[in-house]
Amino acid sequence: MVLARVKGTVVSTHKSSSMVGLKLLLLEKIDPVSMKGKGDFVVGIDSVGANAGEIVFFVTGSSARMTETTKGKPSDATIIAIVDAIEKDGAFTYEKAAVQE
Amino acid sequence: MTLARVRGTVVADQRSDGVENPCFLLVEECNQGGEGKGEYLVALDLVGADRGHLVLLAQGSSCRWTYLTTDKPMDTLVVAIVDTIDQYGRDVWKQE
Repeated sequence: MVLARVKGTVVSTHKSSSMVGLKLLLLEKIDPVSMKGKGDFVVGIDSVGANAGEIVFFVTGSSARMTETTKGKPSDATIIAIVDAIEKDGAFTYEKAAVQE
Repeated sequence: MTLARVRGTVVADQRSDGVENPCFLLVEECNQGGEGKGEYLVALDLVGADRGHLVLLAQGSSCRWTYLTTDKPMDTLVVAIVDTIDQYGRDVWKQE
């Protein structure tokens, strides 16, 4: 699973019928030590209700079809979790509550 | 299967993976000597690995071939803790 920050939404009106109703989010992969973006963007399908600014992690490949939202859908990047905290070597590099305050 | 070092943990309350009581580890991809490459991943821990351990990662659809992850959206698993790595007859990694 890859850590990323939600940067925004992606909207498409002309799409495959199997994609109808899915929420597309613009994700930027991050470095969990500096928490900075790597400039590497992907579009992911949301299955947890993530919003812009939140840190999430997503699954790629065939595993992206295994959530309730994406079962049988042509997804190869699905957000499966909203991150509350990242701890590295005993110290937090990210705490969601601290960011929101 | 790739090698990685356990660097920390990732906490997530809101999830859609359906795995019960998962433990997500922050792992850094590394070489056979345990030196990190600066690339980090989130991995589901199956073996109780701890910070500093050199572990074996399974990635891709193979991750769903365990009892815990059958048909679950998981693509990175910690499947083993490495004890030793021998390269041309020399121990390049030894778990203390």
